[in-house]
Amino acid sequence: MYSRLRRLPSFWIASVLLVLVLLLGILGSALAPHDPLAGGSALLQAPSATHLLGTDYLGRDVLSRLLAGSRVSILGAFEVAAIALVVGTIPGLLSVYLGRVFEWLTLRIMDTLIALPFLVFAVALTALLGNGLTQAMLSVGILLSPMFYRVSRAAALTVSSSQYVEAAVLSGGSTGWVLRRHIGPKVLAPIGIAFANAAGVGLVIVASLTFLGIGVQPPAPTWGGMLASDLGYLAYQPYAPAYPIVLIMLTVWAFNLLADVLRDTSGEAGRILLKKRALAKARRRGRRLQPQLAGRVE
Amino acid sequence: MATATEIEVGRTRVARPTEARTAGSLRWKRIGLAILRPFAVFVPVFLFGTFITFLLGTLTGLNPAYVQLGEAATPDAVARLNHQYGLDQPFLVQYWTWFSALLHGSLGSSWIDGISISTLIGQRIVISLSVAALALVIGIVVGAALGGVAAILQTTWVDRAITGFTSLMSVMPPFTVGIILVAIFAVQLKVLPSAGYISLSQGLWPWFSHVILPAIALSFDMVAGVARQLRAGLVSAYGQNYVLGATVHGLSPRRIFFVHVLRNGGGPALALVGLSLPNLLGGAVVTETVFGLAGYGVFASSSALHGDVPAVQGVLVVSIVLVVAFNLIVNIALNRIEPSAKRGV
Repeated sequence: MYSRLRRLPSFWIASVLLVLVLLLGILGSALAPHDPLAGGSALLQAPSATHLLGTDYLGRDVLSRLLAGSRVSILGAFEVAAIALVVGTIPGLLSVYLGRVFEWLTLRIMDTLIALPFLVFAVALTALLGNGLTQAMLSVGILLSPMFYRVSRAAALTVSSSQYVEAAVLSGGSTGWVLRRHIGPKVLAPIGIAFANAAGVGLVIVASLTFLGIGVQPPAPTWGGMLASDLGYLAYQPYAPAYPIVLIMLTVWAFNLLADVLRDTSGEAGRILLKKRALAKARRRGRRLQPQLAGRVE
Repeated sequence: MATATEIEVGRTRVARPTEARTAGSLRWKRIGLAILRPFAVFVPVFLFGTFITFLLGTLTGLNPAYVQLGEAATPDAVARLNHQYGLDQPFLVQYWTWFSALLHGSLGSSWIDGISISTLIGQRIVISLSVAALALVIGIVVGAALGGVAAILQTTWVDRAITGFTSLMSVMPPFTVGIILVAIFAVQLKVLPSAGYISLSQGLWPWFSHVILPAIALSFDMVAGVARQLRAGLVSAYGQNYVLGATVHGLSPRRIFFVHVLRNGGGPALALVGLSLPNLLGGAVVTETVFGLAGYGVFASSSALHGDVPAVQGVLVVSIVLVVAFNLIVNIALNRIEPSAKRGV
């Protein structure tokens, strides 16, 4: 899987971006040149040497707030995806094995979760449960869980009924070996795709919630909260919302790109795609195509 | 390999062996099934959705005394108000009272000021629905135009430009688009108002000018989704042998596109339209905040922050009903366009 991924430039773009973003999330507050909460007398200033991205309506340094705010925004996205992974995958896998009543119940619950207007529910849940970050992450995670439920259930259904798994067990393969060789790759790829998608959606939802002041209250710095305060001063600083917006868009784009790359390289379709790319590359270089090259693509 | 019609014919034969099977009677049976089957899917969704909604309200442990009196609530007052709102009864009794009132169209009264929640939501839902409906129209029209053009001109630079543009649109959350639109059209160009709402009865243009920016902000995601799905569907339909056959027969490109390709390749895009209403309604919360609209999304978040449980439940129930009703309509349309979709419902 990894050796296939490595050959695609879009995989490298996505992972470099995501590693940078993750570093930003972990080290953000430490990198901030000023105190993100300390105001000054210089209000709504344009970018300068002391304040690289200018100051906001209370004279706080925008760059510092952006860096300090990335923690909640980015780690929040990963947390949400991780919660959705646990809440969705476990019932998804169990629905195949635990009998029809459980299957019917979980299917209907997931149908309902898909049909609910997502953001309204997230807002209602978070605010009613006490308006904290933990509540926000939990409610968004639960609302995103159908993404994982569906893919894990589909994967478990195909694997559990496939003859090659049965054949592998019959011919003496140990459970660990069967899991690694046959079931792992089949289940991991769709769950990886769903995780990248869920993290992208989660980032947008967390940003939306913080924009509304739900989950994290001002003055704590968040990307969404910065947008909310910039909105009031658009007449003075029309460019100010651009910084958080660009960061949000880049991160979401990186997650989407990663999901696309994973989808393109997994399974038979990925094998064909990479074979095509190898052929095209060989043709461009004007080399005679060697038979090993076409055969070597795993 | 039996076709859909054969299976359908087989089914009716088993069900009514003596009745004459004309084309007309089969047709009505098929339409009836197409309408009934989605109901079988959506009734459980409605029941579960309302149950989860009610459970949510109870789990929060909030009570009207806390909302109305705050820290000054005495145990006496708490008990009195709980009794007044029927909160001292067992959970299932409460649920049944609430649910039967719901079926009669009553959503209870607000814990804050005692005003009927149906009235409160009724005033606000018009605003949200005008924005959502306009966004839906923009999403379908622009999305279909972009997807159709990209599919007709596939593998040209136009196709690549549209694909790039739609993937850019899909990574922009509605509230960022809203802020950008306000910055451009309201603050810099000063051509459209940045906030507020004027009802349709006061003129078409004033209404339209207040609704168009939030609608555009809300529609981005849908435009991107519809364009992408439609392009993929149409491209795969163009690759089918019957299109080649139609071309060889000398049918005009226009007829091939509308009759053969669009009808067969449009299913996924239409299904996406059905799934996008929850997003449009959910996005209302943030776009209404950006554009200062007193819609139901803002009502939901402010009621939730104030702990007004019946109001939040009311909003959620109304949105569930809207989503379920819209999905039913889309499902029926899908069945009419694409008979094969019926088997998978």
